[in-house]
Amino acid sequence: MTTAPSFTVNATSVDLSPIPESERLLDTLRWRLGLKGTKEGCRTGNCGACTVLVDRASVLSCLTLAHEVAGSEVTTIEGLAAEDVGARIMQSFADEGASQCGYCTPGFVMALASLLHERGAAGDLAGFEEDLQGNLCRCTGYVSIRRAAQRAREAVR
Amino acid sequence: MSYAVRSDALAKARGAVLYGTDIESPGMLWGALVLAPIPHGTIRSIDLTAARAIPGVTAIGPEDLPRLLPGVPTDPERPIFPSTTIQYHAQPIAAVAAPTLEVARRAAQAVKVETRQHPAVESIDEAAIGPKPEVIGHVHARYGDLDGVFRTADFVLTETYRTNSVSQVALEPHAAIAEIRDDGTWFVRTSTQSPFGVREDLAAMLGIPESQIVVEGTWVGGGFGGKGSSLVEPYALVLAHASGRPVRLALTYREEFLLGRSTLPSLIRLSSAVRGGTIVGRRVLWKVDAGSSLPGRDFATGYGVGFTVGPYRVPAIELEGIALRTHKPPLGPHRAPLAPQCAFAAESHMDHLAQRLGVDSVEFRRRHVWLPGDLTHLGQTVGPFGLSQCLAEAGARARKWRERLPENHGIGVGAGFWSTGTGAGGEARLFLQPERLRIVQGEPEIGSGSVIRGLAAVAEVVLGIPRERIEVDYRDTATAPFDSGVWGSRTLGALGQAVEKAARELRAELAKRTDAPEGAIRLTVQGSELAVEVDGVFRPVREILRREEIENGGLTTYGTHYGVAGSFDALRVLDGTFYPYTDFTGAAHVAEVALDPELGTVRVVRYAAFHDAGRVVDFETAKAQVEGGIVMGLGTALTEEGLWSPEGVLQNPGLVDYRIPTLAEVPPIEVHFIEGFLGAGPFGAKGLGEPPIIPVPATIANAVRDACGEGPTELPMTGERLARHLKLLRT
Repeated sequence: MTTAPSFTVNATSVDLSPIPESERLLDTLRWRLGLKGTKEGCRTGNCGACTVLVDRASVLSCLTLAHEVAGSEVTTIEGLAAEDVGARIMQSFADEGASQCGYCTPGFVMALASLLHERGAAGDLAGFEEDLQGNLCRCTGYVSIRRAAQRAREAVR
Repeated sequence: MSYAVRSDALAKARGAVLYGTDIESPGMLWGALVLAPIPHGTIRSIDLTAARAIPGVTAIGPEDLPRLLPGVPTDPERPIFPSTTIQYHAQPIAAVAAPTLEVARRAAQAVKVETRQHPAVESIDEAAIGPKPEVIGHVHARYGDLDGVFRTADFVLTETYRTNSVSQVALEPHAAIAEIRDDGTWFVRTSTQSPFGVREDLAAMLGIPESQIVVEGTWVGGGFGGKGSSLVEPYALVLAHASGRPVRLALTYREEFLLGRSTLPSLIRLSSAVRGGTIVGRRVLWKVDAGSSLPGRDFATGYGVGFTVGPYRVPAIELEGIALRTHKPPLGPHRAPLAPQCAFAAESHMDHLAQRLGVDSVEFRRRHVWLPGDLTHLGQTVGPFGLSQCLAEAGARARKWRERLPENHGIGVGAGFWSTGTGAGGEARLFLQPERLRIVQGEPEIGSGSVIRGLAAVAEVVLGIPRERIEVDYRDTATAPFDSGVWGSRTLGALGQAVEKAARELRAELAKRTDAPEGAIRLTVQGSELAVEVDGVFRPVREILRREEIENGGLTTYGTHYGVAGSFDALRVLDGTFYPYTDFTGAAHVAEVALDPELGTVRVVRYAAFHDAGRVVDFETAKAQVEGGIVMGLGTALTEEGLWSPEGVLQNPGLVDYRIPTLAEVPPIEVHFIEGFLGAGPFGAKGLGEPPIIPVPATIANAVRDACGEGPTELPMTGERLARHLKLLRT
């Protein structure tokens, strides 16, 4: 069955032709809307590369159906880049050398943006790191990502 | 302060970089593979009728290949599809392309396959039931008075270690998009470590000359050895040819685990004769499970077997390596292929020997460790090599940490050596333009920064040009200078030498044109353009270049580097092919772990690494390699393992059951470089991509030994395995 869900992506309402009920938000964003900054990794909800914000909370777009976000506000890395807080987080990642291949980076940036939104920059650092466990990186050993997260907390304070 | 070390840093953080998985082409179809349902058997029939009945679907099987292939394949070991015999579970046996991925998957499921199953060889264990594996590789070397030293030894220690397969787990799956161009060119864009290597593979698999194939590398979302040779490209190309449309083919993550060339399981038997507190003889028998295809056998045996002894002087040695073919999928290189596994065995053995002798394990290593000028096991002269110094530093750190060591904690030291791939070929062209320097070359940036930062740093040092004025320009195989690819930690060491030569030639030309000594030339920014500065006088590059140079892309120079590896004493070789080392590099690591005495789980408390890096060309990039390698190694040490059923089917092809390290498990890591033992790379640099992972499993194993009294003998050291180990120790 196909219907056309209606939601906004990066503050613009999207008008989709009918799409299958089973279509994942990840595929809608990447292949219908051309937003390739959201990366496709495992498609099983384990790597975090596809993290986006739905009404400012981080979700895994590979495990979210496009129809589920009807009426919601979706933010992708492209949208976040246009926001002040997003730009600061991204600059923190660049400054700390927190990307090697960079495939996980947009997911980390989105997850961090949602944590900062949810808790502010003040919260407990250990808990903060605990909550970034859902994002995997195979290149950096996370050392520079930790530094980038800390730098981003300071940058948005 | 705000600085971005790498020119790709902000684009990556903004999600603005396109990888292999992100590329699309107008009118493209989506490909999907049909995988063999059994590990070993005969194909009785492949029925594509139902798949082809779906509108828009192109389906191809073994019978279509003679019609579709442009030539006769010259590599029978790697058929695109097997014609009759299935060699491993999930071997691609047919492929489909369709207007959407959903339809492609449906079509792949609609392919009816009938097979007759044969018993599969799944283990190299002699105790395993079923057919025995075929020997496909054998190396054997010996020297010294082996029988004599074993007969007169104070004691002989013999032990067997077992290692299991680990997967690369690059976050980006393999992905390629192919099309057949109107001029007959077979063109593929792909996420690869080696575009020229893929071109060579494709020529053999398709049966056409390399000149008819163009491979364009994309940005790569991690490789670690898994993207070193062709995988999805031939299927994408043949589907494109069959359908007349561009075809995108990406592996699913499950397929990544099934087909992505995990590394080889092995059994390592070590026997050492000790006399007067030193090792006087070593016998090694190394059996590796090479999976179902041949590419792995060389590095598994002839290249790898030396790592089972390690960088130590031993007066009498026998090395034997055997590669066995099983019905596992083709297994392949994973960051420093098999060296972490061999070092785990060799370094655990060193600690065990030191324990038996009652001497400090670091001091014991330093009694034996290679110094520059020593001979390797095969009689090759060791070049500049700083491992002894690394060990001294590691030993001092271990002693310091030991001053306050809680109960159930242990401290371990592990060492490793590596020969970085400086021997392989690479070429680069430089273009000096009025406003920038462009380095044109044929290696995609796979993440380490060795291309985008490392090559730029070489030009930066030679020409004194600010890094933001250097552009590293990747080109496809039709337009780039040749390069053999990102492997063997060779980018900086080998391709870097080509860049260095081209930069020196450029500097010489600038010196000639400005009538200045070469050593005085520096390129600086004046206004918006580059100028040559000689002793405080600035001459704009625009004025130094000839008009036709400005019109044709700049003043250009070309550098090539085809290194020559050292040689060894061929009389020591009894059988098989061994490879000489090119460059000697090493590292010593220290870890403190907390071992749960009941659960057997290991928490790494802190970690320190001391690396012989020759000369560090860019500190931040070098340090990042070491940090990343260590954490990847923690996965190899503690959790990562492919689990195979007795029928030969991988049981854990996904991230739920194959656990890699997460941010929360990473300990504080110190990285130190020992400089001055200069390598063959630019300014004495040595490769750093692979060395950092090598000592990690050994270091953790020795820390576990320190905590509980006896070392583990199998990788990975999962909680379950260590709990069993501890239980045995108690009884």
